[in-house]
Amino acid sequence: MSGGNEKWLDAYHDPVASLYTFTQCLTLSDIQADGDWKLIVADLGTGSYDMKLKVYKNTTLMSEHTIIDLPTGVVTFYMDTLEPRTPAIAVASGPYIYVYKNLRPYFKFTLPPLDIHPMEEDLWNQAKDDQVNVFSMRDMLESLRQEGCSLTVRTLRLLQLEPNNIEAFVNVHKNTPLKKQTVITCLTTMKKSVADEDAISCLVLGTESKSIYILDPEAFTVLATMDLPSVPVFISVNGLFDVDYRIVVSCRNGCVYTLKRGSKDVTKHMIELNSQPVGMERINKNIYVACMDETLHCFTSKGKKLWTVRMPASIMTLEVIDYKPRSFAGILVSLSNQEVHIYKEKFLVDVLKMDDVVTGMRFGRFGREDGTLVMSTKRGGLYVKILKRTAKFEERDMSAGPPAAQNVKLNVPRKTKLFVDQTQRERENGVSMHRTFQRDLALLRLKVMREYVKALDNSMNPISSDPMEPIKLSAHVQGIGPTFKFTVKLQNTSLTQACSNLLITFDYDDKLYDFRKKLVQVPMLVPGLTYDFETFVDCLNDKGVTENVKVYVLKPGKSVPIITGVVSMPVSESIVVV
Amino acid sequence: MGFFDSLAQWLGVRKKEVNVMVLGLDNSGKTTVINHFKPPETKNHDIVPTVGFNVEKFKSKSLAFTAFDMSGQGRYRNLWEQYYKECDGIIFVIDSSDKLRMVVAKDELDLLLQHSELKNRRIPVLFFANKMDVRDAVTSVKCSHLMGLENLSDKPWHICASNALTGEGLHEGVDWLTDQLKEVLERKKK
Ligand SMILES: Nc1nc2c(ncn2[C@@H]2O[C@H](COP(=O)(O)OP(=O)(O)OP(=O)(O)O)[C@@H](O)[C@H]2O)c(=O)[nH]1
Ligand SMILES: [Mg+2]
Repeated sequence: MSGGNEKWLDAYHDPVASLYTFTQCLTLSDIQADGDWKLIVADLGTGSYDMKLKVYKNTTLMSEHTIIDLPTGVVTFYMDTLEPRTPAIAVASGPYIYVYKNLRPYFKFTLPPLDIHPMEEDLWNQAKDDQVNVFSMRDMLESLRQEGCSLTVRTLRLLQLEPNNIEAFVNVHKNTPLKKQTVITCLTTMKKSVADEDAISCLVLGTESKSIYILDPEAFTVLATMDLPSVPVFISVNGLFDVDYRIVVSCRNGCVYTLKRGSKDVTKHMIELNSQPVGMERINKNIYVACMDETLHCFTSKGKKLWTVRMPASIMTLEVIDYKPRSFAGILVSLSNQEVHIYKEKFLVDVLKMDDVVTGMRFGRFGREDGTLVMSTKRGGLYVKILKRTAKFEERDMSAGPPAAQNVKLNVPRKTKLFVDQTQRERENGVSMHRTFQRDLALLRLKVMREYVKALDNSMNPISSDPMEPIKLSAHVQGIGPTFKFTVKLQNTSLTQACSNLLITFDYDDKLYDFRKKLVQVPMLVPGLTYDFETFVDCLNDKGVTENVKVYVLKPGKSVPIITGVVSMPVSESIVVV
Repeated sequence: MGFFDSLAQWLGVRKKEVNVMVLGLDNSGKTTVINHFKPPETKNHDIVPTVGFNVEKFKSKSLAFTAFDMSGQGRYRNLWEQYYKECDGIIFVIDSSDKLRMVVAKDELDLLLQHSELKNRRIPVLFFANKMDVRDAVTSVKCSHLMGLENLSDKPWHICASNALTGEGLHEGVDWLTDQLKEVLERKKK
């Protein structure tokens, strides 16, 4: 199944487990406190029914519970100090958190309702007393929606209905009080006051209403709320609620925010991504974010970017490997090309080839094995791999990584006195240096422009500036003398327009050279083609004197040449008399 | 039968001594298996995961066993190879209900068989497909298939389904091992 991997053992695979889930809905936990860790999965079913909370013991399904709405996250947490130390399971679904203890439903927490837009509430109240026509009500609600107000689910549903169904819909719903609820988008835990493995934890959740809530695990009251500029999608917490903590959230607007205990300013240490996040994890203080543009970024907790790696395919999900026995920490990146890449820092250290696209991954203890990787796939498969005891992740052992030289520290020489003096001078006289430079640059430009205008005026350049005669000229000399072959090439550079009635002549010192053809009649020039015109030139001087020769292309009736070419003649060999 | 054998049997005291290693993953039941063979007065009633290893002695019908009960936890598994040299036989205990870790057990077995100390020795290996009483346990046939035992041809081996809590299957296994070890001793003497 996995192409020749000597680091992982294939412990289990069931390609038809019909498990439809993703990373946030997979977790591993010792929920029976027997040292045999279970796999807990919130199965999304078909997306509209068959949503289930499933618990696997070893490779067998040991329990199943139906979930009413789509699950968005599953975590386990200790909510009390009772023995045996069995953690509870929390499933986020819609505006609710369902808590299970000992695999039995225990508690349902509902998010506090949100404030309803007064106009909307008023309209429904009027509808209740039949004071308003359903169609004008619909129009008013529609205009509220267009203004960008956030509305209740009931109103939104009404706005989607066909006109003939509206009346019935209003009649069914008008008598139940209007409620506005948000939806949980992400869920995680945070230890409350001690950091022990089995210490009591708070639930931390993000909502569609752009808020973060922290819940008390015993009373299920809201301990803290925080507002964000956008909808949180991935959340990561470290620290203790009672002491100090940091919550890192990546949001739908492509930003990552850091919230600290007691701090209201979320824009400090903000990270702006180039693209929407598809996964976020943390290893120690570094934040790893995967984006929709096939990149994986690493940032410091202060928001400084450390590196970016480009992936060969779209990223599906991220997961952390934190394997204590070998003190190996890395990041697992699942890609749409059915591969899972393992990165240690920015180095690719391993590739798992799967036979389906992995959508959910958890690495941790499963059963009695610490280094287990559980994966769920797009087609509903469940795969379990175990890290071999003897596996070693060699940094940079894959060819795809950057060359080792990149990490070698360069031996930068110490700063010399001269360097320091120059720096000092530049620092002190920066403004005047810049001005001098700008002035010289302007003068240079002026000079260039002047020369250019002069050349245009005299038609001294080999490309015609006359739109009526779009011609390019090039001329060259062949031979060693005293007789040379002089070739003039003309090209009509226009696309459609032909040129005719042209002459070529030469301007030279007749004491030095003798052109055998002094005037060349040019036939019509077809656009695009290059025409060659040749003549022989005899050099009359054997003292090694040379001069420039000018080539003119003329048009009868024009006093100025259309174009001019200047050719510097080579030194002629003297005549060898035999 | 040699003279010394007859003498020892006649005296009924001195049995030949052999060293066996008891190997397998953690929680497979190694300590429980050994505990079953210990005389009632030294039996342990509260078995906890082994740390490092323990040396236990017990007797079968004609041999005195010194068993190295190794810990199966991942972090102690590198201790196993330290004792390969001195051992005459191996008891490999498999938790036949832990399907997930069958590959890990197989991986450890392969490492063991490939080890330079054992590779060229015809050392007998006894497998216990333990915890046969557990509901999800696989049969000993399935277990030997999962462990790839059909490819193990250069060493005598035998697999028994067992329940270390009741002792079921344990004696059958140890009798086989005793016969194997006696053969080896006999051959050595000649
Ligand atoms: N149901 C059942 N339980 C068993 C059997 N054998 C052992 N156990 C139980 O499995 C658990 C582990 O047994 P141990 O003997 O400590 O396992 P071990 O292989 O020595 O484990 P380590 O010392 O950690 O390597 C104990 O709770 C035993 O009671 C069996 O045949 N059936
Ligand atoms: Mg033990």
